[in-house]
Amino acid sequence: MAKKFLDPHEVKPILGTEGWEEMYPFYYQFSKTDKERMEYESSQLWFYDGLHYPEPHYPFDLIWDEAWYLALSQYNTRVFMVPPAKGIDHRIVNGYVYITPIGIADPKEIESRIPLFQKRAGYYYENWDKIYDKWVDKTKELIVELENISFPDLPEIEDESIVFDSKGLSSGYNLGIKYDELINMGFKIWQYHFEMLNLGYAAYVTFINTANEVFPDIPMHNLTKMVSGIDTVMYRPDEELIKLAKLAVTLEIDSLIVSQKKFDTLAKELKKSDKGISWLNALEKARYPWFYISTGTGWYHHHISWNDNLDIPLSSINMYIEVIKEGKNPSRSTEKLIKERDEIVEKYINLIKNEDQRNAFEETLKIARRVFPYVENHMFYVENWFHSVFWRKMRELAKIFANNKIIEDAEDIWYLNRFEIKSLIDDMVRAWATGIIPAGRTYWPEKIKNRKVIIKKFQEWTPPPALGTPPEVVNEPFTIVLWGVTTGVLKNWLRSLEGTTSEKITELHGSPGSAGIVEGKARVIRTVEQLDQLEKGEIMVAPTTSPSWAPVFTKITGAVTDVGGPMCHAAIVCREYGLPTVVGTGNATSVIKTGDLIRINGNEGTVKIVESR
Amino acid sequence: MRELNQLYTIWYDELRGSDYGLVGKKNANLGEMLHAGIPISPGFAITIHANHDFIEKTGIRSKIETLVKKNGEATDENIKKLSKAIMSEIESADIPSEIEEDILENYHRLCEKCNLDAVPAAVRSSGGVSMPGQMETYLNIRGDKDLIHYIKRCWSSSYNVEAIHYRVNRDMSVLFNIGVGIPKMVHSKVSGVIFTLNPINGDFSKISIDASYGLGEAVVSGLVTPDTYLIDKVTLELIKTKIGSKEIKCVYETYGSDIKKIDVDDELRKKSALTNQELTYLSETAVKIENYYGKAYDIEFGIDEDLPFPENVIVLQVRPESIWNKKKDMSGKAGKPADVMNIILNNLISGIKAG
Repeated sequence: MAKKFLDPHEVKPILGTEGWEEMYPFYYQFSKTDKERMEYESSQLWFYDGLHYPEPHYPFDLIWDEAWYLALSQYNTRVFMVPPAKGIDHRIVNGYVYITPIGIADPKEIESRIPLFQKRAGYYYENWDKIYDKWVDKTKELIVELENISFPDLPEIEDESIVFDSKGLSSGYNLGIKYDELINMGFKIWQYHFEMLNLGYAAYVTFINTANEVFPDIPMHNLTKMVSGIDTVMYRPDEELIKLAKLAVTLEIDSLIVSQKKFDTLAKELKKSDKGISWLNALEKARYPWFYISTGTGWYHHHISWNDNLDIPLSSINMYIEVIKEGKNPSRSTEKLIKERDEIVEKYINLIKNEDQRNAFEETLKIARRVFPYVENHMFYVENWFHSVFWRKMRELAKIFANNKIIEDAEDIWYLNRFEIKSLIDDMVRAWATGIIPAGRTYWPEKIKNRKVIIKKFQEWTPPPALGTPPEVVNEPFTIVLWGVTTGVLKNWLRSLEGTTSEKITELHGSPGSAGIVEGKARVIRTVEQLDQLEKGEIMVAPTTSPSWAPVFTKITGAVTDVGGPMCHAAIVCREYGLPTVVGTGNATSVIKTGDLIRINGNEGTVKIVESR
Repeated sequence: MRELNQLYTIWYDELRGSDYGLVGKKNANLGEMLHAGIPISPGFAITIHANHDFIEKTGIRSKIETLVKKNGEATDENIKKLSKAIMSEIESADIPSEIEEDILENYHRLCEKCNLDAVPAAVRSSGGVSMPGQMETYLNIRGDKDLIHYIKRCWSSSYNVEAIHYRVNRDMSVLFNIGVGIPKMVHSKVSGVIFTLNPINGDFSKISIDASYGLGEAVVSGLVTPDTYLIDKVTLELIKTKIGSKEIKCVYETYGSDIKKIDVDDELRKKSALTNQELTYLSETAVKIENYYGKAYDIEFGIDEDLPFPENVIVLQVRPESIWNKKKDMSGKAGKPADVMNIILNNLISGIKAG
C-alpha cells in the first residue's frame, strides 16, 4: 500500500488549460515560490471537497468557498478557541477545491485555550435556543436586505432627484457600491452560518463518541435517528408540494394540473376558474420562502431554486397527485417517526447497566438534540434561501453587463471572479460617465471564451480523492462527521491508488450511509443537469447529492457517493427514503461506469462491481 | 377426566417449570422455555408417574424393597451388587401395555409431526431432584423397539452405582422414580452459537451469531471458520456479515450417535449458512432468552433439516455469558450528573476513536 498521496505540487497540468490559475484568487494556489509554505503544503493531507463541489469551480462561484474558508476557520481558531483545532485551509487544483484541517500539536497551547473555550462555547450551549431564535431573526433580516438590493441599468440621463434631493452620488458610483454590498452580504451570511455550526457539530460528535464507547458497534444511522428532528425546516418544501397535491385533488382540479408540464400554460388555465385561482393562491403562499429550495446544493450558480423555474416543483406536485390517486398518502408520518425514534432511544438506554455511562449517554443525547435543529435547518436559510436570492441578484447585475455589450451573454458572468467583476464595473461606469466605449468590451469576452474551454477540460478530469501526506490518525471531528474522512477511509483511498495502476478495481469501500443491500444498474451522475438521465430502478453514483433532488429518490433503488460521511446530505436523505447507500467511497464516479451491474451494501459500506459494462 | 398426575406422558408445550414434580426438572424446564417463547426440539415427557406404575405393576418395587432390606451395610461392594440386581430387574421386565402403548402412541405422533417413519429421538433422564450427570441420556434412538429398550435403560440408570451412592449419602430412599424426555434429535443442517452481546468488545446492544453447516460440534470445538454475523439488538438489523471458510461439517453416522466429518461443497462454502429470515428469528429468540434470564446469554442452536421454518430453529443449550456479565456488573453507584461541557471538551481533545 502506498504511504503518501501525490504531492500537491506535482499534480500534472491539463493541456489546453494554461493560465487557469488567474481565474481564482492567488491565495488558492499551491505555492511555487515560498519554500516554507511549500513544505507546509507537502506535509498536510489535502482532500478533495467533493461533498460540496461535485464539479470544478466557475470563477465567480468560488465566493462561497472563500466565505466558509474564512468563517469556519475564524470561529475555531480565534472566536471559540476550539482547543485542538484551528481552521481548514483551502487550495484549488485544476478547478477543484482541496481542503486540509489544521490541528494544534503543542499540548501547552491546547491547554491554554481550554478555559476560553469553556467560557465561550459554554455560553452558547447554555443559551442555545435563545441564540438560535435570534439567529433566525437576523438571518431573515439579511435576506430581506438582499431582496431589497436592485440593479437597474445605467440611465442615459440621471434622474432629476439626484439634483433636487441634492444626493451628490451617481448611479455609476452606486452600482459599484451595491455590488460591494451584495458581495459583503454573501460573506456575512456565512459568518452567521458558522456562528453555531461548529459548536453544533462538536456537541453532536460528542454524543456519537459517548454512544460509541458504550455501544462500540452501534450503526451510525441509529445514532442520527436518535437526534434527528422530525419537523425540520428542510422537509418543509417537500411537504408544501404534498399539501398542494392534496389540495388539487380536493378541489378536483388534479387532472387539469397533471395534464400540464409547463407552469405558465397551467396558470393561464387555472385562472379561468375560482378553484384554480384559490389553488394558485395557495401555491403563491407556499413559494415564500419554501420554494427557495435549491435544485442542487445551492453552491453553484446553476443550482436554481424552484422559484426560478416553477416547472420543477410542478413535476413533483404531479408525481404526488399520482401517488394520492393510487390511494396512498405521500406524507411522512411524523407521529410514527417520533414513536420509532423514542422507542429506539429507550431500548438502547435500557441496555446500559452502568449508571455513569447511562448519565453520560443521556446528557450528551440531550445536548445533541438541543443543537440539532440548527445543524439541520441552517442549510435552508443559507445554502437554499439566501443563495437562491443571491444568484438571482447576480443575474440582474449580469444583464446590465450584457446590455452594455461588455459580455456576450448574461450567463457568461460566472466565468469571471468577484475581483474581476468589480473591475469590469469600474471600467463600465467610467465609460458610461465619460461617454466612451468601455475597455472591457473585447477584454472580457476573450477571457470568457478561453475559460469555457478550460472549465470543460476541468469537468472531464477526475480529481484524486486526496493529495499530500496522510496523518497517523484523523481526529478532527468535522472532517470525520461531515466528509467521512477517517483513518480507515484514507487507507482505502491509498489502496485504490494502487488498484488504478495494476489491476481493475471490483470493490469499493466507504461508510455505511443508509442500511440495506441492493443490486442494480449503475448510472453515474456528475451534474444536476444529468439527473433526468436516471431511469427507474437504477443505482445513482454521484460525487455527492442534495436533499432537494427529491423526485430522484423515488426513482432510484440506491446511491453511492464519492464523498461524505454518515451525516452528509446524501446519507440523511437516503435514510429518509430507505435507500441502501454507501457514502465516501473516494472515487466511485471514476471507477464505476454507467451500465455496470453493482451491488451496494449499505450496512457495511461496500460497493461491488458485479459485472462491468 | 384424568388428573394430570395420573398421566404417563405430557408434551413439552403443556408443561411449565413448576411441573418438575410430575416430569422431573429437565423436562419441566423445557416446558418453561417453550412458554417463554424459546424454541426447543419438539417432544414429550414420560412422567415420574409412569416410572412409578411401571415398577409397581411389574412387581419390581417390592423386589427393590426386599433387595434393599437384604443388603445391610452400604459398602461399595454391597451397593455395586444392589445396583446390578435392580438394573437387571428393570431392563428385563416388560412395560405394562397401557404405559407402553401410551408412550408409543406419542412417539408415533412425533414421527408424524416430523414427517419421518421412525424419527431419531433422544432418551433423556429427568429427575425431580438435580443429580447432575448421574443419569444416562441416549442419542439417536429410532423405532418402537429401541425406544422402549432405552426408556428402560434410562429408568434403570437411576439405580447405577453413583446414583445409589448419592442418595444413600443424603439419607434419601434408594427407590427413586424419574421422568424421561423424548425430544426429536435435532438433525442440524446448520448450527452455531449465539452471544447476546458482542463477545469481542462487550457491546450489549449487539447479538453475535456464529454458524456453520452440520452439527454444532464443528463450531463449538473450532473445527471450522464459521460465518459470523453481528446484529443490532434494538433494531434487529444485520450490521456485519463475514462468510467463513466452513471447510467441513459434522454429521451423525447413519446409525448410532457417532459423529463423522465430511467436506462441504465449494459452492455452499461461499454462501451464508443462515438465511436472513433465520437470522432475524434467531435474533428475536436470543432477545427473548436474555429478557427471560435477565442477563447476557450464550446459546447453542441448530436449524433442523426435517422441520419447516420456523419450527426448524431450535435452541439446544443456554448458559449465562461468563466474561462481560461480570465486567459490566460493577455498575457505578453514586451517579453524578454528567458534566456535558467536560465531555465535549474531552472529546474534542482526544478526537474521534471511530474509524
